[in-house]
Amino acid sequence: MKAIVIEPLARVEGHGGITVELEGDSIAAVRFDVFEGARLLESLVRGKRYDEVAPVLSRICSICSAAHCLTSLKATEKAFEVTVSPQTERLRDLLFLGENIESHALHLFLLALPDYLNAPSATALAADRPELVQLGLRLKRLGNLIQETIGGRAIHPVNAVPGGFGKAPSTEQLTGLRTALLEGAKGSSAVVDIMASLPETDFCRANTVYAALNSPNQDSYYAGDKVVVFADGERTAVPAADYRTLTNEEPAPHSHAKHSSFRGKPFMVGSLARLTVNMRWLTAKLAIAAERLRLHLPSDSPMDNNKAQALELIGDLERALAVVEQLLDDGIEDERPVPVQPRAGTGTAITEAPRGLLIHSYTYDAEGTLVSADVITPTALNAASMETHFRRLVEQCPERTDGVLAQRLEMLARAYDPCISCSVHLMRKR
Amino acid sequence: MKPILVVGLGNPLMGDDGVGCAVAECLVRDPRLPEWADVIAGGSDLLRYAGLMEGRRLVVVLDAIQDEAAPGTVATLDENAAGLEMRQEHAHHISALQAMRLLSMTIPADFLLLAISIASAGIGTDLSSRVRDRLPAIVEKVLGEIEYLGAGKLQCS
Repeated sequence: MKAIVIEPLARVEGHGGITVELEGDSIAAVRFDVFEGARLLESLVRGKRYDEVAPVLSRICSICSAAHCLTSLKATEKAFEVTVSPQTERLRDLLFLGENIESHALHLFLLALPDYLNAPSATALAADRPELVQLGLRLKRLGNLIQETIGGRAIHPVNAVPGGFGKAPSTEQLTGLRTALLEGAKGSSAVVDIMASLPETDFCRANTVYAALNSPNQDSYYAGDKVVVFADGERTAVPAADYRTLTNEEPAPHSHAKHSSFRGKPFMVGSLARLTVNMRWLTAKLAIAAERLRLHLPSDSPMDNNKAQALELIGDLERALAVVEQLLDDGIEDERPVPVQPRAGTGTAITEAPRGLLIHSYTYDAEGTLVSADVITPTALNAASMETHFRRLVEQCPERTDGVLAQRLEMLARAYDPCISCSVHLMRKR
Repeated sequence: MKPILVVGLGNPLMGDDGVGCAVAECLVRDPRLPEWADVIAGGSDLLRYAGLMEGRRLVVVLDAIQDEAAPGTVATLDENAAGLEMRQEHAHHISALQAMRLLSMTIPADFLLLAISIASAGIGTDLSSRVRDRLPAIVEKVLGEIEYLGAGKLQCS
């Protein structure tokens, strides 16, 4: 028996990683273990007042803090039957766009590109191809600027509160954002050029089930209460309140995260799923870019998630600019948050975090104290699909040497852009 | 614009992992903090604060480190520190050291890391008693470093 173990995916020793066991030409086992910190943090918010929940749960992840914050607020507002203003909806959309731009720029340029260009890290890539890393950092900063302007600070937004925003951005701030977005949009063509120049990585082909939020206006990461599952050309809608019929979580003996499946099949969430479910998101410009990237939907290659992220990145720059211009055209109102009256009830919110569907479901008592919380992250939803795709990759790999398998498995894992125990970030001395 | 920026990194929900953040919060309230230094109690992604580093002479990063030193020990490291993980260790996050290297490519400031040795990092909003008891000494040490480094930077200007 030969075992290939890849554990650099985790920051918590012993939690997370891929194990492949080979017996001659046969695959004895392929296991993916993921540490799911979000689940443990649920216990920290039980017994807290409704307005204390989002600030705590936004700390689940430093990259997706706005998504956790806004999904938390959406769930709380649904539990209390609060309807926010159209301006709040737009500003929340914009905050999501900022986070997506920031996250995709980080992932594509600093984490995925080094894999494609045989650099051991972003810093090594920066030495050889500084222009690539600098473009990534510029785009990431643009995403940060959006979040800072709308959320009140660069990370863990404090300005987003139940019922709306503590303070609306000023016309001057939005004008500054428009200038920055117009400048940043100039990097879009470079993103496509760079991604189109990368070698093809079609080392995992698999018929894949996709799941994504289906928002009413088709182009929001925030609005909407329905998930659409796309399998073999068929679309099935699942209302947010029935999310357990989507997730069907089961414990996996070898994993710290439960495995999800829909009608017995694992499903993939994230950029590729979003574009597959919401093909109308593809504007003419993005459709041309998709052709250049050789991305055809529905895709049978999970590695195409990187291409889908590139399309979203350039599309989000345009959408963010459009939202800012709309806000400026309509005139920004210095409105206060909608009053929130606690009541006993349950609220479930589903949004699209940068790496896929994010579910927060809360139950409150009549005083507005949290009784129970259920937080399901995209990485947890993807765990079973990742494991299936790792197995397909090993089956389809003609050269099963340790080096080739390890490199491909790591690239595929990274293409999913997983968030593994990211709540801990410390350094470790070896 | 103050010439020195101090960024405390960490997640306060993960025990000692949040020590950089906790120290930064102490510094903000400490009357001994030099007037030429700004302090941010941040999250765990240093790159997010790039916009606040523009125009600074020195960026001092406070972060947790798991090593063999006694909890509460403060070590001064630059971005080329040996023995610390520099390989891509995480799927969608890069370490403070990597971030410092990348930021130094685009921002003409010096970067320095004050690494604070910790006892444990697990779910929980409190620092471990071993680190909590040392907090005043850690703050003292960090203030001394900021004073020394900052004075040097201001002299050079």
